[in-house]
Amino acid sequence: MSGKSVTNLVGSAVLRAMSASFNYRGSVREQMRSNGSWTDMTVGIRTENRSVEQGIRFRDGKAKVMGRIPADVDVTMILADDAVVWDLLKATPNETLLMLLRSKIRLEGNLSYMNLMNYYISVLLAGQNTKRNARIKAADAERRRAEAPSVQKALRGEMARRLAERMAGEKVDPGVGYLEDPYLSGYDISDFPRLKRFVDVHFTTRPEICGERPGLLTDWFQANGFETDADGNPWFPPTRQALAFKYLMENREPFIRKDDLVAGTTTTKEIGVVVYPDTHGTMIWGELGSVSDRLLNPYDISEATAKTFHHNIFPFWTRRNMREWVREKYDQPLCQKLDERFAVYFMWKTAALSHTIADFPRMMRLGTNGMIEEIDAELARDEGASVEKRETLQAMRICLEAVNAYARRLSEKAASEAASEPDPGRRKELERMAEICSKVPAGPCDTLDEAVNACWILWLSLHMESTNAGLSLGRMDQWFQPYYEADMAACATPEETEECIRRAIELVGCFYMRCTDHLPLIPDIGNYLFGGSSSDQAITLGGTTPDGRDAVCDMTYIFLKVTEMLNIRDPNVNARFNPEVNSDAYLKRLCEVNLITCATPSLHNDLAVMESLEEFDYPVEELRDWSATGCVEPTLSGRHMGHTNCMMMNMVAALEMAMNDGRHPLMNWEVGPRTGRVEDGDFENFEEFFDAFTTQFQFLIDNSVEYNNLLGEAHSVLRPTPLLSSMIEGPLPSGRDVTLGGAKHNTSGSACIGLADVTDSLMVVKKLVFDEKKVSFSDLKRAVDTNFADDPALHARVTRKVPLFGSGDEEAVAVANRVAAFAHDAFRAHDNFRGGPYTAGFWSMSNHVAFGTLTGALPSGRLAGKPFTPGLTPEPNASKNLLDNIRDVARLDPHSMNNNIAFNVKVVPSGSDSHEQVVDHMFSYVKTYFELGGMQMQMNVVTSDMLRDAMAHPEEYRNLLVRISGYNAYFVTLNRDMQLELIERAEYGI
Amino acid sequence: MGDAPPAAGRTGTPLILEIKGNSLDDGPGIRTVVFFKGCPLSCAWCHNPESKKVGPELSFDPRECAGCGLCIETCPRGAIDDSIEAHVDRSRCDLCFECVETCPSGALSRVGREMSVGEVAAVVEKDLPFFRTSGGGVTLSGGEPTLFMDYCSRLLARLKEMGVHTILETCGLFDADAFVRTVLPHLDAVYFDLKLYDPAEHRRWCGTGNETVLANFAELMRAGLEGGVEVLPRIPLIPGITATDENLEALAELLRGAGAERVALLEYNPLWLEKTAKVGGRNPLAGRDASDRWMERSDVERCRAAFEAFELA
Repeated sequence: MSGKSVTNLVGSAVLRAMSASFNYRGSVREQMRSNGSWTDMTVGIRTENRSVEQGIRFRDGKAKVMGRIPADVDVTMILADDAVVWDLLKATPNETLLMLLRSKIRLEGNLSYMNLMNYYISVLLAGQNTKRNARIKAADAERRRAEAPSVQKALRGEMARRLAERMAGEKVDPGVGYLEDPYLSGYDISDFPRLKRFVDVHFTTRPEICGERPGLLTDWFQANGFETDADGNPWFPPTRQALAFKYLMENREPFIRKDDLVAGTTTTKEIGVVVYPDTHGTMIWGELGSVSDRLLNPYDISEATAKTFHHNIFPFWTRRNMREWVREKYDQPLCQKLDERFAVYFMWKTAALSHTIADFPRMMRLGTNGMIEEIDAELARDEGASVEKRETLQAMRICLEAVNAYARRLSEKAASEAASEPDPGRRKELERMAEICSKVPAGPCDTLDEAVNACWILWLSLHMESTNAGLSLGRMDQWFQPYYEADMAACATPEETEECIRRAIELVGCFYMRCTDHLPLIPDIGNYLFGGSSSDQAITLGGTTPDGRDAVCDMTYIFLKVTEMLNIRDPNVNARFNPEVNSDAYLKRLCEVNLITCATPSLHNDLAVMESLEEFDYPVEELRDWSATGCVEPTLSGRHMGHTNCMMMNMVAALEMAMNDGRHPLMNWEVGPRTGRVEDGDFENFEEFFDAFTTQFQFLIDNSVEYNNLLGEAHSVLRPTPLLSSMIEGPLPSGRDVTLGGAKHNTSGSACIGLADVTDSLMVVKKLVFDEKKVSFSDLKRAVDTNFADDPALHARVTRKVPLFGSGDEEAVAVANRVAAFAHDAFRAHDNFRGGPYTAGFWSMSNHVAFGTLTGALPSGRLAGKPFTPGLTPEPNASKNLLDNIRDVARLDPHSMNNNIAFNVKVVPSGSDSHEQVVDHMFSYVKTYFELGGMQMQMNVVTSDMLRDAMAHPEEYRNLLVRISGYNAYFVTLNRDMQLELIERAEYGI
Repeated sequence: MGDAPPAAGRTGTPLILEIKGNSLDDGPGIRTVVFFKGCPLSCAWCHNPESKKVGPELSFDPRECAGCGLCIETCPRGAIDDSIEAHVDRSRCDLCFECVETCPSGALSRVGREMSVGEVAAVVEKDLPFFRTSGGGVTLSGGEPTLFMDYCSRLLARLKEMGVHTILETCGLFDADAFVRTVLPHLDAVYFDLKLYDPAEHRRWCGTGNETVLANFAELMRAGLEGGVEVLPRIPLIPGITATDENLEALAELLRGAGAERVALLEYNPLWLEKTAKVGGRNPLAGRDASDRWMERSDVERCRAAFEAFELA
């Protein structure tokens, strides 16, 4: 018992109770069975100083408690101290999560096994957890109502009012051929009862976890092997994935949603959660029994599906996923440990490599059969092609054929439904659908309904292969326009023309609604890291054509109309505005849609975005064809694997480490380089401290890149993507899968978080400590370490007397540019696994809130646990004048921001201004910002009162859309911290 | 005895209260408003009470105060006393502003800063791109800018050289000859405030009679209608004082007579009460009904009814 505490005895007793349940309760024991055999694993639990140390081993259907942690342990839970053990015993699952996030608990080893252990615990505590969850939900609702009891009916009418006042537009854009009122002000959703029903379903249907994809794939891999084939020969990974994909597409259920004009679904559910066990799927293991009860974004799951996941699917993947592959092959490197502590960076590559844009125009032009012919022609042409190239191209071919097989089955399904359809109108639609699916995507598209169906079938197929996280649609207005024009040209009468326009709106509406048929799998911890996020399927409108002309066309306005009418979070609409080419009428319409929907589209300055990519010397016609990806990031459409959100980097962590000689305070880990002690006066001037910051930042960048590259390798081994490879320019000649660098262009994009917080903190150190000598650095540090609790005067001084980023101060802008340039250069110096460079972006999804909760007080006066500002938005306190914010952000150098930015502005229309005046004001801000060189801007047009009311009465605001940092979410689905962050953002009257 | 117009304006450099960018309520487009310090009227409800006096003032904002007490240590005259509600004993304060230098939070601040025409123009220049896209410009306000006609004239001339759209907001009490000769040529519009029709009432609430104000209004309107600078009459709605049916009907009649077609009605808001306290002023409307809250919608509608014949700006 040497060194062991009393708590150790308690830990032992708890584990013994657990093992007894497993050994003596038949139904519990059954939980240890998977695919006909027993699941073996060993889990350790200890405190940092080993005052508590226990192990539990599950082997051959028996559980056994060990008074130590054996060397062959699979995963160990390490608790900060004895007190945490006691907290853990009382904790709800949700509280356990927060303890993990806040570094009270850390994990070492295989996380799938930890999730399985959590599942075992949940089985034992099932009844208790349901009651606990019910209590949590009741308390949450009570708290919300108590905070904003009054029912503010006036606010609730606001959105309807905006919609009712919409304006008509003038036909001024050269690319608009048929729309006399491009704003399409005569239409509203009541003209499209079908879409209205779909929107209702969208808001009233609870998403359900679907077992189809992972189930079929796991079946195939179990039968045919994963590492080696049935004969024991190592698989060539793209071939294996192609064959498994073929099995999936030939065996999954072909569904046609009731009343839809677009055939096919991503899952078997109305709204399905897609599970990818080869990436992060096993993260939900511990929640299989409770996910339908959780407070935030619950999912339904049937008992049978949960059983299948537990017994048949997840056990196969415990070691065959990105994280665990890296852990095993590279012995849990430091770069991986850093990621798994949540506080310094978050590696999206563990979940996906799918932030890219497929070449839809080529698919629509050639059809998949035409693409197959090109593969065959390449194989015939390149006689000396390597085996790798031949197999890679064959794998692509198999995938395209698999897509065709699925489309054929959709066609048959449509025909059979038509045969039994009593309503003649619907029967006709189904017959047409059967015809479409028998023609496309195999053959070229000729009409808009064919184009929409072909793209949707490819889109869902891509999601059967790649994780639904950031895979993006691209320039759909450009790509659909020729098919729309063909339809319009065939109209003989004004009535037909009118009907054709109406039909185009409806088809695009159906396409949008199809995109909402699936959701990414977010384990509960994700609700705290990036809550409310859908799969961020970005769509891009407007801008210029590859040859530099005005690209705004009829379809641009049709997409905007649909965006306005549906007011839903997916697809994530991004609009390009080229100040040299695009019209003011178009920009005004963008602002109007933003006003009506509260939060979308996101607005991009074409010139600045293209300037930011100058360093890569992309051919200009390819550059002009860029699309936003995931949130805001630029990808050269159809020819570029840019995994533009491979990671979220917390720059503020580097600052904290510089303040603490390399130690990260929350993790209490001396992990970074020793750069000097503030307390000992090690910094003589600002430059020395700035160097300490960049040294720590470099350390984090180097580690994050190292891990991202290892994960890149894992993707190429575990899940190459031959279908995506067939849809991107490059693999055909190169003969390499896109996960191996086969695309024409390859980059990896980072999101650097906390630019304003870092800049403001550096400004405080520079001005108050070194320039003006108003406070000593060690006094400032003491105040920071104590969250300014004992020094309100110093807190007042740092927050009031230092010019911040966004205040119009030259020096603050210079510091921000310097930090951004450092991030850019440090990332740029690295190459990714696919052989391309890294880019740096300054947007944050919602991680500015999550990272904020994991960060102590800062020299800027931001208090411990508070969110950072979203993206690179200035701190609300920087200036009362929005123009100062706009000017400062516009003065940041695009060359340092080649993965784009997110600049959030919350504007509140004045009650006395007309709709048109409000639109004019918004237009003036955006237009000027772009003229000044600003890259991107996104406006939330809501009031804090409205958000508070929504917090208290979520049922009244189900469709209240807000822009977080780059993506859209329904306000009511956000966690409380995120809701408060949105409310506390600076609010500017317009 | 009427309202003697101030001597053809003061010479020298005025104190500027604030240059407020991004204003959407002081004329068309996005505007930058230059607030002058000092006014010949002393309206009881003045919404910028810190602009009444020509000279600098010390402002204290209790919400910003960190309670550190540094100001008490600093003040050479012992004028700061945190035991009194106003925080500053104005009878002792000699406006040395040393406390402002010391105050870490900005709770103590100096109101009014001397700025040359060039300095103001430099601040405005940053906003030019916003003026261009929005059709905005600069509005001179106050206080009363015409107290400093020479300065206004030079500033406005400079702004016109920069291509800026210009508006001047005025209480109407100025020397018309000097105004027409030196200021008006540089203006695109005059926003002319009318408060009370009855001279005695005007004297009671605004400190002077309104004979000059009304004469100036008539003259500028006439010139405006003859193709000169546009004049927009504006009426602040002060419950129980200007917002009476009697006064509004009289003013409407006056406007009709002057040939006005548009009028702006400025709704009462109680924010000035807090501002008055900050500079140690007292509230002349204390105890009056409705002076401490925003106007009711129905009351605004009632006031509007008197101006049915006009376009409301």
